[in-house]
Amino acid sequence: MAVYKHSYQRYGGELTAIWSRFLILPRYAFQEVFRSKFLIALLVGSYVCPVVYALIIYLHHNLTALRILNTNPAFLVAIDKHFFYMFLQIQAGVGFLLSALVGPGLISPDLANNALPLYLSRPFSRVEYVLGKMSVLIILLSAITWVPGLLLLLLQSNLEGGSWFVSNLRIAGALCLGSWIWILFLSLFSLTLSAWVKWRFVAGALLFGLLSFVEGMGAAINNIFDTNAGYLINLSEVMRTVWSSLFALQGNGRIALDDAWRSLLAFCVICLLMLSRKVKAYEVVK
Amino acid sequence: MRTIPDENQIVLDDVSKFYGEVLGINRVSLAIPAGITSLVGPNGSGKTTLMNLMTGLLQPSQGQVWVLGLSPSRPEKLFPKLGYCTQFDSFPKGLTGRQLLCSQLRLHGWGRPEAAARAQKTLERVGLTEAADRRVAGYSKGMRQRIKLALAICHDPSVLVLDEPLNGLDPLARAEMLALFREMAARGIHLLISSHILHEVDLISDRVILINNGFVVAEGDIREVRDEMQEHPRQILVRCNKPGLLAARIFEENQGIEVRIHDDHRGLLVKTRCADQFYLMMNRAVLETGLDVEFIAPADDDVNSVYGYLIGADGGRP
Amino acid sequence: MDPVIQLDHLSVNFGTRPILKRLTAELSGRAIGLLGPNGAGKTTLIHTLLGFHPSVEGTARICGMDIRRNAKQVRTLIGYMPENDSFIARMTAVRFLRLMAELSGLPPREAMERAHEALFYVGLGEARYRELGTYSQGMKQLAKLAQAIVHGPRILFLDEPTNGLDPPARQRLLRLIREIRDGGQVHLILSSHLLHDVEECCEEVLILKEGQIRVYCNLEEERRANRKFLELETAGDNNGSFLSALEQAGCQCAVNGSRRIKMVLPQSVEIRDIYHLAADRQIQIRRLHHKRDSLEDIFLKAMEENHGRL
Repeated sequence: MAVYKHSYQRYGGELTAIWSRFLILPRYAFQEVFRSKFLIALLVGSYVCPVVYALIIYLHHNLTALRILNTNPAFLVAIDKHFFYMFLQIQAGVGFLLSALVGPGLISPDLANNALPLYLSRPFSRVEYVLGKMSVLIILLSAITWVPGLLLLLLQSNLEGGSWFVSNLRIAGALCLGSWIWILFLSLFSLTLSAWVKWRFVAGALLFGLLSFVEGMGAAINNIFDTNAGYLINLSEVMRTVWSSLFALQGNGRIALDDAWRSLLAFCVICLLMLSRKVKAYEVVK
Repeated sequence: MRTIPDENQIVLDDVSKFYGEVLGINRVSLAIPAGITSLVGPNGSGKTTLMNLMTGLLQPSQGQVWVLGLSPSRPEKLFPKLGYCTQFDSFPKGLTGRQLLCSQLRLHGWGRPEAAARAQKTLERVGLTEAADRRVAGYSKGMRQRIKLALAICHDPSVLVLDEPLNGLDPLARAEMLALFREMAARGIHLLISSHILHEVDLISDRVILINNGFVVAEGDIREVRDEMQEHPRQILVRCNKPGLLAARIFEENQGIEVRIHDDHRGLLVKTRCADQFYLMMNRAVLETGLDVEFIAPADDDVNSVYGYLIGADGGRP
Repeated sequence: MDPVIQLDHLSVNFGTRPILKRLTAELSGRAIGLLGPNGAGKTTLIHTLLGFHPSVEGTARICGMDIRRNAKQVRTLIGYMPENDSFIARMTAVRFLRLMAELSGLPPREAMERAHEALFYVGLGEARYRELGTYSQGMKQLAKLAQAIVHGPRILFLDEPTNGLDPPARQRLLRLIREIRDGGQVHLILSSHLLHDVEECCEEVLILKEGQIRVYCNLEEERRANRKFLELETAGDNNGSFLSALEQAGCQCAVNGSRRIKMVLPQSVEIRDIYHLAADRQIQIRRLHHKRDSLEDIFLKAMEENHGRL
């Protein structure tokens, strides 16, 4: 028999590995994120394109199916770098929609009621915080860009024969690198918006609005100063230039490749600077 | 029955205030004279509603409010005599403390040079002279509290309604402000102060209003209120070297209905129906039994205890 | 007792403005009150120990670990209850505490267990499945306390814990703090403007002014000194005969208000003698206590001195 008294107890047990702590944030965020049925629908919808692509690849290699459809393989879309470049562009667009849905809710709830000091008073740094939040978007966006892309490539190479992959390694590389650049930029940008804008809906809308606005500014600059420099702030132009160079395709020559890279870098640095202004434990009021 | 409004009191005559279905205060009748009256009660009990009714920010659903004979529904007559320091913090952007005070004073009708002089005097009274020319947006919590107080007292009102005025002030500032309030009360100003810090309420108040769930539970001088509460016997704390002996004596002379001895056997808590008799008995007990008394004091003579008895720990919202 | 917090010429600037100036002290009490006027640097000190601000000179050690070199280990040992509102509105209390516990390094299962325990312990048991945004002010304070203790730290920083609470909630919270202190497993640093709260919970006080330490003293020892000063409150002394009798016996008396007498007892007079005088005149002695330096006196003295004592 015993009477148990409930009192404060220190914790003396094991601690989890320090390096993996930032993954706690995506785990909690995903539980929240997947409560939205709309998001699940969008996620499912984002696999429509990969499935269609897989079908096309399959059709290319399946004589029976072709005979049924009564077509010539030559009429189908060719499976080359153009094929995969189109894939990347489509999925990048879907990714943009996903970010607009998921991104705004990542940092703004923490800032709305000053919860950040509670995070940072623990063995958890600002870098880990941002990394953790970015991982949510990185994981989601990866799942719809380079992961299905690589799977498609593997499918193609499986059906076509082992050497196809090796001779088209460049496509794989371009797909992965192109996706990662887009993912990194998009995550940084939505996190920055989430940190600076209080209302989730406005932040989501701004994701579209700001980019269109900046594009418009770019076009205005082009017109007024009669240059092509305005395209440097036009995100779609910049991305297309970078992507086409990765896929070894002919770009439209509006911007030089080096300038495009620099422009991207500048975008990312600005986002990081703005993030670091907001993700702080304590505001010093002058 | 309509009473003739008293020019020396703040009078509430059977006042109720409902926000739709939600209760603010219910059938409250009060007459508040000059001096410091403290308003005490849990969060959500109706304190802010009461203050808003007195200052005319709300109109009662029923009943009448008279402040020094004036009705709060005629603000142009009342506001020159009234100062209100709310618990909420918001200020027009871009102004410094001094500018804020000066503009407030000019709204009250003073000319520019007079307003500046008064503003300076008020800033000195609240201790904000150093920060007066900085933007209010950059003020710390304590400074914001002081500027709110300054805004309430700058036009020398006859009635001051203060909602938690010492929130965020450091101990020195608290002591200074309490001294300021006492000084104003001595000059005949009516102060109504709402506070959660009960020992400060004890220190400065002439009268106390306890409010819970929209009803006034008790009001008046705290000692008189306590005296009225016959169902709670007086509790007296004694620390001495022979508590057992004293306890026996107490029961022998029938001066206590309950005695509890402290865990460290160096003191006891006595419940008695008649405190006067008990104290007189103590004199005899000390002399006749060789008791060494270290400490003696009433344990429930203050606002804290009265609050506990009347409102209890479950008062207000969960 | 091993010092829990050691400050070693700790200096912190905001830009060019010095906020903490070469603070040096060794704190080892179970519950230490941190006091000082606005702008003295109390919150900055806590923030610096948590690693929110870098020190411009000097350093500090918590449980032997340097706050700069071992910042993360130090933060594993600390629980922090901030002054301002701090919560995530759309999370339930349990989820919030689980997140905080896991971020402090607890494995998920232990985090879950301790989250529930902590919420029950602070008194939020029934409301723990509700979203924090629906909580009242008192409940939010309790939730803040719960997240500060959920990972079982060795040191607790409490910044104005009774902010905005009504009297019963304040008493409950102070009682909880005393319970935590008395459990013996954690050291508390309580920063507050309410001297009463600090007096009730703390054994030692650290008083800061303008970024420097003015006083670091043990309240118990202060209370034990000064046994010859007495304060009385009487009833029934209508003609002042009691007062004159006291003075005749050799006590220096000062009357404070209508019924309170402050006096110094000479060697020859004892409390029994005072009772003798009271019994003779049918005077009630309603209040009697040795007037020691209360925390308020210590604080006011500290503010007046130009050169602090350590």
